[in-house]
Formats: sequence, C-alpha cells, structure tokens
Amino acid sequence: MPSKKQDWLSAAIDEQGLSNEHLDALLQDQDLQHRFERYHMIGSAIRQELPKQLHTDFAEQFAAKLAQEPIHQLQSSHTFMQRIKLGAQRAANSDWFKPSAQTAIAAGVALMAVVGVQHYQQPGAQDLMSPLPVLQTRPVAGFASPVSLSQTSVDSRFEQQAQQAMLEQQTRLQELLNAHHQQVRVLDQAQIMSEQRPETRDDQEPDGQL
Amino acid sequence: MRWFWLVVVSVSLFFSAASWAERKGWQAFEHSQQAVQNKNFDVSYVVFKGDQVTSFRWLHGLTDTQQLEQLIPLDADGVDILRQDNIVYYFTPDKPALVTLSPFIKELPALFYKSIDDLSQLYDPVSGSVSQVGGRSAQLLRLTAFHPGRLNYWLWLDVETGFPIRIDTVSENQQVLERWQVTHFLLTSTLPEPLQGVLDMKLPVPDMRRLQRPDNPELVSDYQLAWLPSGFRKVDDPYFIPRLGSPLLNYWLLTDGLHQVSVFVQRSNQVPAQAYRDGATTIYVQSNEQIDITVIGPVTLDIAQQIADAVRYD
Repeated sequence: MPSKKQDWLSAAIDEQGLSNEHLDALLQDQDLQHRFERYHMIGSAIRQELPKQLHTDFAEQFAAKLAQEPIHQLQSSHTFMQRIKLGAQRAANSDWFKPSAQTAIAAGVALMAVVGVQHYQQPGAQDLMSPLPVLQTRPVAGFASPVSLSQTSVDSRFEQQAQQAMLEQQTRLQELLNAHHQQVRVLDQAQIMSEQRPETRDDQEPDGQL
Repeated sequence: MRWFWLVVVSVSLFFSAASWAERKGWQAFEHSQQAVQNKNFDVSYVVFKGDQVTSFRWLHGLTDTQQLEQLIPLDADGVDILRQDNIVYYFTPDKPALVTLSPFIKELPALFYKSIDDLSQLYDPVSGSVSQVGGRSAQLLRLTAFHPGRLNYWLWLDVETGFPIRIDTVSENQQVLERWQVTHFLLTSTLPEPLQGVLDMKLPVPDMRRLQRPDNPELVSDYQLAWLPSGFRKVDDPYFIPRLGSPLLNYWLLTDGLHQVSVFVQRSNQVPAQAYRDGATTIYVQSNEQIDITVIGPVTLDIAQQIADAVRYD
C-alpha cells in the first residue's frame, strides 16, 4: 500500500521514530530508498538547502566521463607499430639514391650524430685531437651580435660574409657526412645479394612494395 | 750454458703468458658477442659525443624462424631502425622508409658483429680490472690497435652475462672521444614484448630488382689515391656513388674490415684546411686551386691529412 508506506516513511523523515521492521523494509526495498531520498530532497528544496546545480547522479556521470577520457601512455608501442606500418606502406627505395631523397633521409639520421662535431682552425698545430669549438650545423639566428650604426663598419660586413661562407661550408660537410653514413649502411648490400636472396614470403607481393 | 737455458725458458714463458692473455681476452670478447647476438634483451643506452648526449632503446630477440632487432632513438627527430634477419628498415616520421640489406644495424657498435679472426688482425686485447659500472660488476677489456693512427676501444663487460655495459672510443693519446653507456638492461627468456607486435606485421619484402646497384654518376678517373693507411684497402666498386649538391669528381671508400673511411673529391671552394670531429669520426677538408678533398672516418687527423695529401692528378 503506497499510502501506508508513505505514512511511516514521511513520519521517519520528520524524525518521529522508525520501528525495526520499517528499518529492515527500508534497507531491503529499493523503491522505498528512492522515495526516502526524494522526500529528503523535497525537504531540502523547501528549506532552500540545495546547491545551485543539482547532480543527483554525480557518481554515474563521473564514471561515464572517466570512461570517455583517452588513455595516455608514454612511448606507446602501438603508436610505434602504426608508424612502422605507415612507413612500410610508403617504402620507396627507388628514390633514395636520388639527391633529394637521400639527403632528406640521411639528414634525419645524421641529426642525432652531427651536433657534437668539433672544429679547429689550426692545420699546422700539433695537438690536433684536443677539444675543439663546436661546429654549428644549422644557421643560428643569434650568431651575429646586434649591429648598431656605429658598428656597421667594413669589418662587420666582412665578418658577416665570412659567417655566411662558414655556414655554407658546414652545410656542405653535413651533406658529405650524411653520404658517408649512407655508404656504411649499404656496404654489405652487394655481398648479401650475391650470397643469398632474401626469402620472399608467399603472402605478399614483392613487386611494388618498395 | 746455464744462463742460456734460463733465458730460453724465461722468453718462452713470457710469450706463452702473452699468448694465454690474448686468448683469454678474445674469449671474454667472444662471450660478449654471443650475448649481443643470441640473447633476448631490452636495453637502453646513451652515446656521449663531446657535450652532446643521445639516448636509444635497443631491443633484440630470436624466434624459431627469425631474428628481430629494433633501435629506437629517444629523441623526437630520430629514425626508428628495425632489422629482420639481414633486412634493415629505416623509418622516419614523414619520409618513405629506407630498406637495405645488412647483417647488423650499422648504428650499433660494429665490433660485436665482426669475427674474432678479423678483429685479431687489428687489435690486441688486454684484460683490466673488475669494477662497478651501473651497479654491476664489469670486466675491463682494452682493445689496443696494432696500426698507428687508429682508435682504441675500452670495453666494460658484465661479469655475469658478458653483455657490454660501456664502451669508450679512445684516441692514441688516451683521450675519450666517444662513450657508449648502457643505462638499463633486461635480459628476457623470450622475445621482448614490444617485438611481439612486429611478428604480426607484414613488412615490405625487398624487391631485388630495386636493390640492384643504382645508376651511379661518372667519375673523373684521372684522380688517383696514391697511399692507404696500413690495414686499409679500397672497396673496389662501392655500391653507390653519392650524388651531391656539388658533384663529385672522384670518390673512394676505404675499409679495414671494421671501420670505413670516405674520400670525396669535389671542385674547389678554396676554403682553408679545416677539421671537425663527430665523436670518434674525423672530418678533414683540404683545398687547393682545383679541388676540395674531404676525408671522413674514424681515423686520427694525422692519418686523414696523409690520405688527403695522397690524392694525385695524373
């Protein structure tokens, strides 16, 4: 009987006592529990105790939002696999001996090696293997100091030209270093090709893959 | 007469001890080679070149049918390298992949992939003391070059597994030019987990026709290289001749079986002689009115200068 239920429940909310049987009923009956919650909420609304934004299902909403959050993982092997797959699909060996492709690929590899290059300017010095100034492998914006009118002399113009020539020379050396690394990579290729042909897997089309 | 026999015995003892020490040294090194080539592992290492430091993760594993190896630079701009048996793939973020044939990844220390017979022609192994490196007991092994003007290697090998923990490339005057240092290593019983994904992947199969020698540019045969450092030989027919912004007049590739040296001849830019170093690699440029000669390789500057001086025009 809903009205009966309401009577003792309403009385309990008004702090008029609750018998043991009613307490057991409340703990077991979900419908009563919802009713109990709603009555309390009505009471709170009348007393103006409710927060401005009411979220009765805060826990459910939070769980749902959490489930939608992307999973962050450092150095994900899955991402790397995708990268390999993508690269493998676009493998283009026929291009990599052309100057542009070769330089582009090699530059990426050489970048991790070249920055530590050191430099000396005394070909006649005896101690040629001693620590040397660092080679600038990329144009450096702050290379030339700010020039005021009084400093714009013939000397500084020569200095700028010399720096420009130095940067060109470094770019050229970078290209040669890349070519050397590339040469080392393919050093054994001819020998391996003559010794054994790599096994061709049946489930793939050899032609057009590279 | 008694003195004579005493000298004979002393000399023979000395040589047999030296020979025993050499044998022990190569045995330790071979153990290290076996660890690098035959174990499953997940290793991180750093390379120090001057004040420049680069980090890598290095994975290696064997299955019943294939050998997989992967080198992942921990820098954002690096190139991921993958080896499946003797096919090596270079993956860059925005470029087509590069595929080459090689028995090992050339960016790893080549020492671990060369036969002891070949290495013993170049280096004399001397065992040093055991010390603590990275919290592990490591046996020092010095590989000292027979030929002048060569770089030496000091290796610290894990006593328990033989795995290399640190390699210093050292100049003739004992200056460390490059340091290779393991920061973490984990030997696994099976293929390391990240390589499992590679197993299921369909990697591109090298098309033999496209791996053939490319059309190389014509060189000016009038230039000759009249001298080679001891132990080096010319590679008769380099696989490819680099195409460069400033075209090559001639090019030679030299090798001693372990190291490679490139000699480039280009039209002159009339620059003063210059030398640079990238870790253990020397870059030397010499210019006259007609040509620029650039020598690049892991030799001393003195040797690089002698090579450049030996370029002749007939």
